[in-house]
Parts: sequence; C-alpha cells; structure tokens
Amino acid sequence: MKTLFAIARFVAEEEVPHSDSEGITTHSPWLPERAEIIYGSIASVLIFFLLYKFAGPLAKKAMAARTERIQKELDSAAADKAAAATEAEEIRQAKGDIGAERDRLMADAAVQAEALLADGRVAVEAEMAELLTRADTDIATAKSRGIEELRAEISGLSAEAADRAVAESVDDATHQQLLEAFIQKVGASA
Amino acid sequence: MNDPVIEGYAKALFEVARAEGSLDEVEDELFRFARSYENSDALRNALTDEMIPAAKRQAIVEDLLGAKTTATTVQLVSMVVGSGRGRDLPAIIDQLVERASSAKNLEVAQVRSAVELTDDQQTRLSAALANATGKQVNLKVVVDPSVLGGIIATVGDTVIDGSVRTRLDQLKARL
Repeated sequence: MKTLFAIARFVAEEEVPHSDSEGITTHSPWLPERAEIIYGSIASVLIFFLLYKFAGPLAKKAMAARTERIQKELDSAAADKAAAATEAEEIRQAKGDIGAERDRLMADAAVQAEALLADGRVAVEAEMAELLTRADTDIATAKSRGIEELRAEISGLSAEAADRAVAESVDDATHQQLLEAFIQKVGASA
Repeated sequence: MNDPVIEGYAKALFEVARAEGSLDEVEDELFRFARSYENSDALRNALTDEMIPAAKRQAIVEDLLGAKTTATTVQLVSMVVGSGRGRDLPAIIDQLVERASSAKNLEVAQVRSAVELTDDQQTRLSAALANATGKQVNLKVVVDPSVLGGIIATVGDTVIDGSVRTRLDQLKARL
C-alpha cells in the first residue's frame, strides 16, 4: 500500500513541463511521461506476474509433457533400434543358418543322388542280366520249338508221304494177301 | 450204364425186325448205316438238325436208303430220326446188334478192313475169331479205307490189330 501511495505521490509531484513564450508545452524527446512510466511499469509487472502465475505452470507443464513425449519417442526409437538390431542379428543368423542348411541339404542331396545312382546302376545291371537270361531262354525255347515244329512238320510230311506211298503200293493182290495172312494168323493163335 | 431210352429204342427196333422175320438182314443194314452215319458229318448234321422239319429228315432217310435196303430198315431209321433221336442212332443200332447177337448166343465181332471181304473170307474169319476168342461171333464188316490194308477186329474188349495203318503209326512213333 505504501508503494502505491509512493507511486501516486511520485505521479502527483511530476514536474509540469515548462511552456515557452508562446504558451506551447513541450515534452522530453527521450523519456516518456512519468505516469506513463509508472503505469507501464505496473502493467508490465502485472503482466509478468500473471504470466508467471498462470502461464508459467502451463508452459512448464507443456514443456514437461513435450520433454516426456520426446523422451518417449527417443525411448521408442531406441527400442525400435534395438529390435531392429536384434532382428538384423537374427536375420544374419538365419541367413547363416540357411546357408548352413542349404549346404547340409546339398550334401544330403548329393549323398542321396549318389546312392540312387548306385542303386539304379545295380538295378539296371540286374535287369539287364535278367533280360539277357530271359532272352537266352526265349531264344533257346524258340530254337527248341522251331526244331520241334520242323521235326513235327517233317514227321507229318513223311507220314503223309508214307501213307500215300503205302496206299498206292497196296494193290488188290496185296490186300488179299494181307487179309489171308490175318485170317491164318488169328486162326492159328488159339 | 446204358441209357434206358436207347435201350428202349433198341428193343423196339429189335422186336419189329424180328416180327418182320428179317432180323439178320435188317441188323446188317442198320449196322452198315450206323457206320456210314458216324463217318459222314453232312449226314449227321442233316439228320440231327432241329431246324429241319422231321418230315424232311425222314424224307432224306428214305432217299438215302430206299433203293438200297429193306423197307423195314428204312422205316426203323425213319422212325428214330422222326422222333428226334437221330443223335443216338449209332448207339441204338449197336444195342440192337448186341441184342440180336445175344439172342443167337453170339458175340459181335466188328471188323474194319480197307476192302470188302468175300463171303468165303468172312466165313473163315468168323471161324478164326471164334477159334481165337473161344466165342461164336456175329461178324460185322466195316469197309474203312483209312485202315490202308489188313484188318482190325474187335470182339468185346479184345482188339486184334493186323492193319497197315497201325504198323505205319508205330513206325511214325518210332521216328
């Protein structure tokens, strides 16, 4: 309160600007009016006080929130970076594993291919041997059959020729001789 | 075991032939016809074909036998064929021949020869077969060119083979 009174007195005691001869009042070109200084100062103090009282906490809070948000973002980025690094490591490891797996599979495939090739070779050789044996058997059978057929053919032709020759050579006299021989032989066989 | 139907037909034919008084002749004619029937596919097919009417089959029999055999033989064969037993004709006739032979206490001696036998040869052959088998025989001669020469005689279960055919077959088998 004392301050306010002091200010008021300071304002009231302000020097009246002197007037020139023509009655025109002049002001300082460099300093404002005293009242203006006082009111301006009070207003400034009031404004700063209000700013400090009300805007300060809000600003502080906003700054804290911003700081916290930035920290969070930093933490998140660090976590992401760590995750990425872990993932990269895993990928690198997986890549290494894939390579090893590929090599192992290739080796297995090579072994299996070799085994299959060996088995196939053995099977083909066995089949060839069997085919050769069967072919030999078939040839022998066909040869034997051919010989038998030829023999049968020759035998048939010979028999037919013999039949014809006999039929043509057996004349009536021979027939009678054969009949008489048969009758005598049967009659004598008792 | 003999078929009773065949035996029935054989008995009927036998009785008819005996009643007619021509048993020997009819028996001989039937025997010859049976052998011809066995050797001829065309005749066998014609007389056993169910698609040919019975009257037509009987007409075939009459055409075949009418001029060569007795009327009794024709009628008996015609009767068997007309009753649809053509397939059994040889068996019926063989039964009839056996029955006729039995009636005379004779054994049927079937003789296959490449040529016909004279009466004298048949008489001497009958005597020779009777001498060889100890049975009086009723000689039935079948002319079969496939015999080629000589004779094959069958008396009951006994076969006396003196044919050229058999000798040739033995030779072939040996070859």
